[in-house]
Amino acid sequence: MKRLLVAFSVVAALWSASCSSGGPAIQPPPPAGKFDVTNLKGTYAFTTSGEVCAGCQVAATPMARAGSFVADGKGGITGGVYDVVIQGGATSAVISINSNSSYTVNADGRGTLTLNVTSNGAPTSINFGIVLTSTSGDGLIIDETNNVTQASTGSGNFVLQSTAAFQVSTISGSYVFDFTGFDGNVVNGPFPESLVGQFAAANGVITTGFEDANDGLGLASGSMAPGSLTADPVNMSTSGRGTAVIEGQSYAFYIVDSTRVRFISSNTLNGSGPMLAGDAVQQQANIPLNLAAINGSFAFLVGGSDSAGNGLTRVGRLTATGSALSKMLMDVNDGSNEVPFNSLSNGTISSYDPTTGRGQFSFQDSNAQVYTFVFYLSSQNGGVIQDVSPSNVANQARVVADGSINLQSGSPFTSSNISGTYAMNWSGLVTAGGNIASTDEEDLLGQTTISNLSLSGTSDMFQFTSPTLTPNLNIGTAGSITLNGGDGASDDTKRVDMNVNLSGSAPIDMVVYVVNSKLAFFANRDNSGTPRIVAGILKLQQ
Amino acid sequence: MKPKTRTTVAPLMLLSALAFCLCAAAQQTAPSSTQRLQSYDLSREVSLVGAVVKFDPASATPPMGAHVLLQTSSGQVDVHIGNAQLLKANHFELNPGDSVRIVGEPLALGDATYFAARIVQKGAQAVAVRNSKGFLTTPASAMSQAQVDALRGVR
Repeated sequence: MKRLLVAFSVVAALWSASCSSGGPAIQPPPPAGKFDVTNLKGTYAFTTSGEVCAGCQVAATPMARAGSFVADGKGGITGGVYDVVIQGGATSAVISINSNSSYTVNADGRGTLTLNVTSNGAPTSINFGIVLTSTSGDGLIIDETNNVTQASTGSGNFVLQSTAAFQVSTISGSYVFDFTGFDGNVVNGPFPESLVGQFAAANGVITTGFEDANDGLGLASGSMAPGSLTADPVNMSTSGRGTAVIEGQSYAFYIVDSTRVRFISSNTLNGSGPMLAGDAVQQQANIPLNLAAINGSFAFLVGGSDSAGNGLTRVGRLTATGSALSKMLMDVNDGSNEVPFNSLSNGTISSYDPTTGRGQFSFQDSNAQVYTFVFYLSSQNGGVIQDVSPSNVANQARVVADGSINLQSGSPFTSSNISGTYAMNWSGLVTAGGNIASTDEEDLLGQTTISNLSLSGTSDMFQFTSPTLTPNLNIGTAGSITLNGGDGASDDTKRVDMNVNLSGSAPIDMVVYVVNSKLAFFANRDNSGTPRIVAGILKLQQ
Repeated sequence: MKPKTRTTVAPLMLLSALAFCLCAAAQQTAPSSTQRLQSYDLSREVSLVGAVVKFDPASATPPMGAHVLLQTSSGQVDVHIGNAQLLKANHFELNPGDSVRIVGEPLALGDATYFAARIVQKGAQAVAVRNSKGFLTTPASAMSQAQVDALRGVR
């Protein structure tokens, strides 16, 4: 206890040193809006991905969670279960959420979620910050646990589950998936790993599938082995939990409804293996029937690692007219080396298979460097994307990264339609100076009103900027959005600037690609100030 | 279960036979060269020997992380050595004037290159800051078995 307290006081000084670089103090606005505790009522599937330390003597370790909690609409969490996996693959038995857990919701949709659980026989609490993104309770979540048992942070979301769908037979049809994390190589690794693909399931059997794997830069693409989906006899009826084997790897899963299932690696108890997590989304019948039918503007965001393990984000947009790509823009942050690409050329969708929704596109920069991506469409509005940009070694990529690609709509984007209250979340890496300088996880979750392209709101930010966690709650958040013109009819072809001002900190400069008036992708683009590699989303509260 | 974090000196002895000093100017290569340096290749490794001029645990120079400015016989070289926490976890300090040997190689970062260290050695102590594929070693890999076991209770 004393050791941790000492550490926290040191870290508090570090926060002050790293973030008091001239920014003005910003008072958080009083919470205002349409939300209260009644908006969180029902059974919700949640995921987080971030880092954890126990004892915090050395460093934080990557960790992912997936689970289900039951909210009573009155501030109580009455139960639920979840799974945890850490880098290296250690998993615990399914964790039960005690019925005396709780949550709060402010008028602005911000709130807290406290899950009371047992760790090594002793009671403990896992704490989250939440921002509701709809009155049915869907929302974004940030891990804010900081107690004597563990410190952890990470980002994720929660989605209302349909309890009527809690049976394996619900998982029926074709699903597009994106599982990301680390492989189970404990000899030389673990290495970052990304799996994207499509599988068909019926009656608990994964009959067919096609997968693109990037395991520590090594690329593999091909048909998947048959797999299985099995109900957890104890927790399926209450939480939608089951276990799965997909392409030879074991997972736990949580059914949201027939359209979405959330997966997380489940290895031998306290053993080793991969740490992978992600969603499978039912593929709709309206995906394009052929390559010529792929038309529209798309924004994309991928995050991961470059070939040397440096953090990497790529955010951008393109217009597809059949196989031809045009109006391509991309902003890359590779190890805090941030480059906007404006002269991308030779854009082509080289292949598309309507039976799987799988395709591949590429473009090149002014130095003839080729960027290649595999995508799987889950609907005509988008899907998942994996960076497979080739290196000088056969079957080896330059990076390990994946994310989302979404159809842009509703342009031109103006102060009129980029307006309202939004949840804002980012996650990535930050470097802080001082005596215990380090590079580690940063997560931010906030709520902001956007009016006349100005931001005003409140955020929580958690950083592992030393072996221990630096929490910062209720930060006054301001900023501005600058639209960069366009041709009036389609200014979705332009990148957007966003300055985020956190109280007491220097402005953080983001580049934004608007998907529609309800969703935008962004990544930091500022080469000056505190080095960070973060990416995130703005999501309209509905 | 616990990944290796400290390297033995033996491989370094072998590599020292290939001792090579990279001049700072060599870091600036043409785009065509950077495309050949997109991934770590053990066969391309060289060994830098020199004295620490400056150690910055949180450099503003990309890539993000700790950098050491090394004075070699051919000039000064800026070396990226990953996460300073890893060095700290291994009780490994770098101070101006320290004689060190660094095994690594140039890697591309955008249109430029940087020198990526895989092994940093001072005296008899060596720390692997990258693994054999060139990925940065995480500080968590320096945990003791007891610290690893403690993680099994995280929730």
